[in-house]
Amino acid sequence: MIRQIIYREILENLLSLRFILSLLLAISLFAAAGFVFVAKYRQESQDYWKDTNENLSSLSEQTNRLCDVARYRQTVYRKPKSLALCTEGFEKYLPNSFRFSVFSMYIPQVRGRGNFDLGRFSDMDLVFIISLILSFIALIFTYDTICGEKEAGTLRLILAASIHRHKILLGKYIGVMLTLGIPLLLGLLVNLLIVISSRDVIISSVDWLKIFTIVLLSLLYLSIFVLLGMFVSSRTAHSANSMVILLLVWVGLVILIPSFGRIVSDAARESPTQAQLQRRLTEADQKIRDDSRSGKFGRNAGMFSSDPEKCNPPATARWYNALREAYNQVYEDHLNKMIVPATFGRSFTRLSPTVLYQCASESIAGTGINRFNSLYQQVKRYQQDLKEYIRSKDAEDPESLHLLCDHGQAIRDWGVISKKPVSFDTVPKFRERDLALGQSLKLAIWDIGLLALFNLVFFAAAFVSFLRYDVR
Amino acid sequence: MIWKIAKKEFLLNLMTFKFAVGTIICVVLTAVFMPILAKDYQRRLEDYNENVAANEAELRKVKVYKNITPTAYRPPNVLSVFGEGLEKQLGQSARIELGGVSEISATSTGGNPFLSIFPTLDVTLILKVVMSILALLVAYNTISGEREQGTLKLILSGTIARYQVLLGKLLAGLVTLIVPVTSAFIMGLLILQYFPMVSLAGADWTRIGLMYLVSLIFISVMYNVGLLFSCLMRRASISLVLGLFAWVVFVVVIPNGSVYLANYLRPIEAKEKMDAQVRDLREQANNEIQDLTKTLRTGGNQGFAMGAFRGIFIVYCEKALMDDYKKEYTLSEPVKLKCADKIFEVQQQYLSGLMKQKHLARTIAQISPITLYESLMSALAGTDLASFEHFRNRVKLHTNEVIEYIRSETDNFSLPSYFTQCKEEDYEEGKKWDYDKLLEQSSPLNLQDLPRFSCGPERLTKALPRITTHILLLVFINAIFFTLSFVAFLKYDVR
Repeated sequence: MIRQIIYREILENLLSLRFILSLLLAISLFAAAGFVFVAKYRQESQDYWKDTNENLSSLSEQTNRLCDVARYRQTVYRKPKSLALCTEGFEKYLPNSFRFSVFSMYIPQVRGRGNFDLGRFSDMDLVFIISLILSFIALIFTYDTICGEKEAGTLRLILAASIHRHKILLGKYIGVMLTLGIPLLLGLLVNLLIVISSRDVIISSVDWLKIFTIVLLSLLYLSIFVLLGMFVSSRTAHSANSMVILLLVWVGLVILIPSFGRIVSDAARESPTQAQLQRRLTEADQKIRDDSRSGKFGRNAGMFSSDPEKCNPPATARWYNALREAYNQVYEDHLNKMIVPATFGRSFTRLSPTVLYQCASESIAGTGINRFNSLYQQVKRYQQDLKEYIRSKDAEDPESLHLLCDHGQAIRDWGVISKKPVSFDTVPKFRERDLALGQSLKLAIWDIGLLALFNLVFFAAAFVSFLRYDVR
Repeated sequence: MIWKIAKKEFLLNLMTFKFAVGTIICVVLTAVFMPILAKDYQRRLEDYNENVAANEAELRKVKVYKNITPTAYRPPNVLSVFGEGLEKQLGQSARIELGGVSEISATSTGGNPFLSIFPTLDVTLILKVVMSILALLVAYNTISGEREQGTLKLILSGTIARYQVLLGKLLAGLVTLIVPVTSAFIMGLLILQYFPMVSLAGADWTRIGLMYLVSLIFISVMYNVGLLFSCLMRRASISLVLGLFAWVVFVVVIPNGSVYLANYLRPIEAKEKMDAQVRDLREQANNEIQDLTKTLRTGGNQGFAMGAFRGIFIVYCEKALMDDYKKEYTLSEPVKLKCADKIFEVQQQYLSGLMKQKHLARTIAQISPITLYESLMSALAGTDLASFEHFRNRVKLHTNEVIEYIRSETDNFSLPSYFTQCKEEDYEEGKKWDYDKLLEQSSPLNLQDLPRFSCGPERLTKALPRITTHILLLVFINAIFFTLSFVAFLKYDVR
């Protein structure tokens, strides 16, 4: 019997105007998203390789002297990702270039060709289309499942037969999910075909697995809206009223709550300003200066004199490294203080399943703020590797003082770091590592759990409401 | 007869569930958001006042003309609570320097980039999303719903002409929708009045009045869209579904699609290219200055101190050196000024590239009345890109004023007062200088007549041409949709 209901539901949906419209809308949007992504990816890859090669070639020019490698300020750029196809995670707003030398780490900056003025919502990626358009379509399919049948009078007929109410509900749910799957899967197919046939975007097998996970996640997300639609439909007597309520709930969940984020984070946590950063840098500078005066780093730290008695290279190196360290600390604090309000606002907006879904798919695709954080950590780790490399190479040189410190005059006058050439091949180079699927799932586990919870709650609500539904 | 129909329709609408829910939500949302937005504005205003005061305090400490490098701050816009536009995304301040261009970054480099992941929220958002849905909901069953109920037959069997029916319905719909819009505006303004720091000037009221008017026109466009589908379809539920699809296309698809199309049709240069150009220009100027001042010496018996705005000035120096400094500044400052002008040009060019792309995107997106409405609201609130350009131009003007002031006070940068407070009689050779005493003796300059920066919002009359064309366009779209529904209704099958 349940099969019959599913079958009927699908057939009825397939022939309706709303299905044709949704199919057209979904497919054209997915196709457009595919073309847009390919063009953008091509452009970004070009820019990325140009910048990265520039960086590497400048690095190779420094290999004539080890000290130059140590002092060279590298810039690592964020690599465009093929999985940004699924969700870009607002990456165009996030800092994408990391400037650092062995001794210093600066605040990552946003670089590139972006028009700050455009793009109010977010990017037209798959997750965006699914979270806005398909969730809307899910409501359009379900707003009259129960009350519409009541109005048409067919609900009585169904219930007159010897079938349990929960079976009807389940049958309708499965029927709508299957119908909804058609625009989703067809759209995805068109999108992926466009992306693959462009040959610019290479999707590895792990990526395929991740895309598959995101599709499953999308179904989980859409099912929330299907259940919500059925719940409201079985609470109201007229389909017009059910539509009104659903629309307003949809606007609240999908558009309004995500917009709260900014206000909440503005109100709760203040972002640090540039002036504060400058002030803290000055303070750090002053503190190190005072420490130096009180003799914390040893006698004559920072003195350069023709009289070798007055010079104290180890003390100077300690002093200078402490200064660098203090600056790095200030920069990192500043960065963290900027990230905290953003993540705070994000966690607040997790009241909305849309945000949950976006966060979860960002974690799985490896984009967004999570990726920024991991990239930053990787750059820092690379910085340490490079430092170790410099240390080991420096140890081989008997002429060097073996004091790792990037003070220009100290290197020139005393040779605190080796000035011997090194081979470019031995210098470690930065390479970004993606998280494995298991790890990304672990990041997303809370969001997925909450999505499932939403499903459960709405299912229970729909079930209870329908059991007590007045068929007259 | 039109009146009778309008009255009946209006009374029917008032009693409906959708109207009640829509109005309540509109008012509640405004009541919830307005205090948050007003508080946010208040905080920004406090920051601004603090910054301006700090700037003024520094100005009072200036001891030599070279160190006059104040910062111009952009005052926050009160009306941003209605249409936030780009208010928070664009540069807030510009440092005015003699040699450098006052750098106003178009992107908010000073701000927090991570917060850009959240969409903006303001009254426009509430009106555009909630009200447009409400308009569709009110309109979708005006014709097809009456047909389903059978009342359309009864109406048309009277002597009334079809256009009268339609006009009556339009009138009733508009009157119905005016209620929530007006209550949202009144609610918002009342709450704003409650905040002591928010003060609305006369021009602001004109702008708010225009915003209200534009909101009404916009709502009537959305109503007409619903009416059109109602006249085209025989069943109310289908006209609702069609209307909602149109709404999604207007709200989500067109605004986003236009951005991509514009990006594709008119790609912009990377910002790095402009940065490189600026770097080259700076280097060129530096080389030129070095060439000019090759023969002058810079070392000698002299003492520096940190002055206002973290600028360096000379406390004492020997006579020969002072003459050299005088010559150096007379030669180098004009070069720096010229370089600054060139850099401004380059930045202007980059910005105009952005403007053109944005303009293209907006032009494409104007198929959607919702984008049109949004850009109108931000233009009226003074938070669109054109208003930002206004700020940029004001800063440029102010920079010129400051430079002119310094130039006239220091006789083209050639007087010693430009870089030091050493007196002529201190020039004697071989004199022993007492650094601390001299530093203590030096007194701040009297800068009462130095022009101060002020930047109100752009004058409404200046923004009027672009606002008027947009309003006319909105009215035009309105007329088109109504004509279409008129034609459709004339042919409507009443059975």
